[in-house]
Order: sequence, then structure tokens, then C-alpha cells
Amino acid sequence: MIRLENVSKVYKDSVVALRDVSCDIQKNEFVFLVGPSGSGKSTFIRLLLKEDEPSEGRIWVAGKDIAQLARWKVPQLRRQVGCVFQDFKLLTNKTVRENVAFALEVIGRPKHVIQARVPEMLELVGLAHKLESRPDELSGGEQQRVSIARAMVNRPPILLADEPTGNLDPATSGDIMKLLLRINESGTTVIMATHDHAIVDQFRKRVVELENGKIVRDQARGVYGMGGPQPIGGGTP
Amino acid sequence: MKLAYFFGEAFANLRRNTLMTLAAMSTVAVSLFLLGSVMLGGAIITQSTGRWEGEVELNVFLRDEITPEQSKELETAISAMPEVQQVIYESKEAAFKEFQEMFKESPALTENVDPTALPASYRIKLHNPNSASAVASRLIGRPGVEDVNYGGESIKRLLKVTGLLKTVSLVFVGLLLAAATVLIANTIKIAVYARRNEIGIMKLVGASNWFIRVPFILEGIAEAIAGTMLAGLVIVTAKLLLLDRLQQSIPFLPLTVGWPTVLQIFGTLLAVGTLIGAIGSGFALRKFLEV
Repeated sequence: MIRLENVSKVYKDSVVALRDVSCDIQKNEFVFLVGPSGSGKSTFIRLLLKEDEPSEGRIWVAGKDIAQLARWKVPQLRRQVGCVFQDFKLLTNKTVRENVAFALEVIGRPKHVIQARVPEMLELVGLAHKLESRPDELSGGEQQRVSIARAMVNRPPILLADEPTGNLDPATSGDIMKLLLRINESGTTVIMATHDHAIVDQFRKRVVELENGKIVRDQARGVYGMGGPQPIGGGTP
Repeated sequence: MKLAYFFGEAFANLRRNTLMTLAAMSTVAVSLFLLGSVMLGGAIITQSTGRWEGEVELNVFLRDEITPEQSKELETAISAMPEVQQVIYESKEAAFKEFQEMFKESPALTENVDPTALPASYRIKLHNPNSASAVASRLIGRPGVEDVNYGGESIKRLLKVTGLLKTVSLVFVGLLLAAATVLIANTIKIAVYARRNEIGIMKLVGASNWFIRVPFILEGIAEAIAGTMLAGLVIVTAKLLLLDRLQQSIPFLPLTVGWPTVLQIFGTLLAVGTLIGAIGSGFALRKFLEV
């Protein structure tokens, strides 16, 4: 589903964000992408969305070599990849229903599809009763559910989550994790970048650890740190 | 459904940023009004120089001893020239009659001139006054031709002045257009900035670039067209209330223009307005909406 082959990314000011990273993620996998701030997690995700080009190496997403992808076809790629962020990125002037519908409207889906899928999707994330609320009337966990609904309403085969629990308390984080796992079980490949030791240790999924732009560990059913306590980094790398 | 979405978004934007919209509209209106005025002035100048230029004619004066055959041959040669629109023969008698008519207030002059003293001539009307000197040089020296007169220097000067005026006004128009385009680009940039979150999400969920751009381009065009309408309205009013009245009180100068010219200017403004609306928003979007 996703494949990186000897990928390096050097930014203009010769900052090396990724060095010779190779990684294979199968359909239906759930992968935690862990590592301290500045280890290259965000670059990893940006490259998958073609928000940035790799300096070296090749990347396949959903069966396509994305380096070969013409600029105007990038939107097609992004329709294959749902995205969730730490700060939710919801539109505050739209209701919950409108926020989710927006994702379908702007890719030109017909009205009847939007009217059918939006409530369905919001019910799936447990917000059927908040259709007409605005984001600022919701709790953080509820806002993240809306953003997950928005990412998934187009039924993409891949979901990228960048620190989705970064702004949430542990109990709410657990709920969001359960939702992501359910999405994974229904056939979506999920990649989640995170700092959250507790979650990684609790759910025992594949762990890919980055440090200084290199993969230092790729372990099925891993925990956050190899041993001993790890320093807790602040913010998104 | 898409069209409804595009127009809906564009007008929602216009309403949301009423003040900016008004600012853009009025700057377009002012610059296009100036452009329209320059065009109007240009039309009046062209019209008057056209009138003067139309009055330019070549006089080919004939020697008294010219034979009818030479005269006939000359006339054929002149009519055969591609620049010539019309050629009229004026006999000695006709020339004297015109002379009498021209100076009828001073009988002393007409009475002392021998009716045969004035030469016969061919009067040539040209398609384009610019070709006067070329035609003249071809005729000078032909058998039976005494002299060719076309008011050469004064025509050249006239054409030079009108040509310069046209060039200056074109440069002026160019500058105004650039200013209007930049102003539209600025308002669109502000509109894009105000909606940057929305645009970020649109890109994230895979909206195509054109889908994101179209509402802004429509917005720029709508602003430009509204401004153009305003400018056009002012120009029509100026024609009705200013030029037409002025013309009535000073009938001998060509001061006003006909409705076809006004319509043509209006059409040009509309086309130019639409274009700069589109170009301006295109500029604004190029930087902001890169994938």
C-alpha cells in the first residue's frame, strides 16, 4: 500500500530530515510512527501527501509512484489518503455537518451522495446528535471525531494521523484510538505519528521509530521505547 | 451543481468582504473611467484629424502648352495609381470661377487678374494622406506638369502631432491597466488570505486546483465588471450631459462622438475589465495556491 525506497530529504538549508529511509506498509496495517521532535515524522507524512518532494529515493502510495505523478494529479493522490491532525483543522464558521460535507463538496461529489454519507459517517464516529453544532461548542475529543469523519467520509484506503491525540487527555485519547482501530479493522491502512507512550504501549501495533531522520527500529507489536523511560517531547516535530 | 457552487462561493466572498469589494470596484471604476476618457479623447482626435486629413488633396498644375493627348495620358496615369481615390479635372475657366468666388469680397483683385492666368489642374483625392509625397514625386517632371502642390510640410506635421498624441495616450492607458490589475490582484490576495484555512483543507481533501481557483477568479471578474459598468455609466453620462451640449454651442468643432463609438468604447472597457479581473486574480492565486 505504501512503500519507501531509500528515501532521503534534505531541505534547502542543508538540514537533513530523512536519511535513506526504506519502509513497506501493507494493506490493512496499523503503524505507529514514533520518535522525538525533529526526528523526521512530519517530513515522512508530508512526503506521502506530496506536499514535499524527496531529495532521493522513490515512494509508492496506493500502487502509484508519486514522483511520477503530475502536479495536477496530486489532488487525486490526496483523495486516496485521509488526514487527521493534532489541531483538528476544522472550519469554525461551519457546522459539524457542513465541515464533513465540505470534504465531499470540494471534490465534486453529487448532492445525494453527500446527503446520504455525511450523517452516516458522523453516526459512525458517535456524533449523530451534534450535526448542527459548531466546532467551538464541542470538546476536543468531539472535534477530533469530526476531523476523522471528514478524513474518512470519502472512503480513502489510507488514513494518516499526525499526533491525533496530542491535544487530548488520556481518557479521550483512548476513545480516539478505539475509533482509529475500528477504522483500521474495516479495511483502512492507518499510519499514526505520535509521542504518546501510553497509547503505543497499550495497543501493541507495528512501531516504526525514527531518530535523526533514520529508521532505528521497525518492530511488529512493539512498544514506544526499547527500554527505560523516554523523554516526552513537546509539540509536533 | 458545480456552477452553482462556484457562483455561490464567489458572491459569498464578495458579501463577506464588502469593504474590500467596494474598494476594488471603485479603483477599477476610476482607472477604467480614465481609460475610457483617453479612448474618447482619442476618438475625438481621430475624428477631427480624419476630417482634416480627408480634406487633403493633391493639386497637379498643368502647363499652358500641354496638348490634349498629354493631358489625357496624365489623367489615365493618375487614375491608375493605387493610392488615388478620385481625380477631377479643373479647367482654366473653372479655376478662375473658383478664384472669383474665393475673393468676391475684393473685386480689385479679381478684376485685375487675367482669366487665362490661372493654370488648369488635376485635383487628386487620396485614400491615405500619408502617400501624398510619394504620389507627388511620381508626377513632378512628367510632360505638361508645371508643379505639384500638396501642402506637404503641414500634412506631415499634422500627422506627426496626431501620431504622438495617440502614442502618449496608449502609454497612459497601459499604465492605468497595470495599476488596475495590481489592485484587483491585491483584493483577491486578501480574499484568499481570509480563507486560507478553508483552502488548506480543500487541498488536503483533494479538491482540484481549478476547483479552488474558480471562485476567486469569478470574484475578480465580478469586481472588475461592476467597476467597468460604473465607469461606462459615467462615460455615457459625460457624452449626454457634457459633449453633446458643448457640441450644440460650438457646432463648427467636432467635439462629440456618435453612439456607435461610445458603444465600442464600452465594449472595449468591458473586455479589458474582464481580462484584468481574470489576470489580476490569476496573479494573486499563483503564489498562494501552489500544491
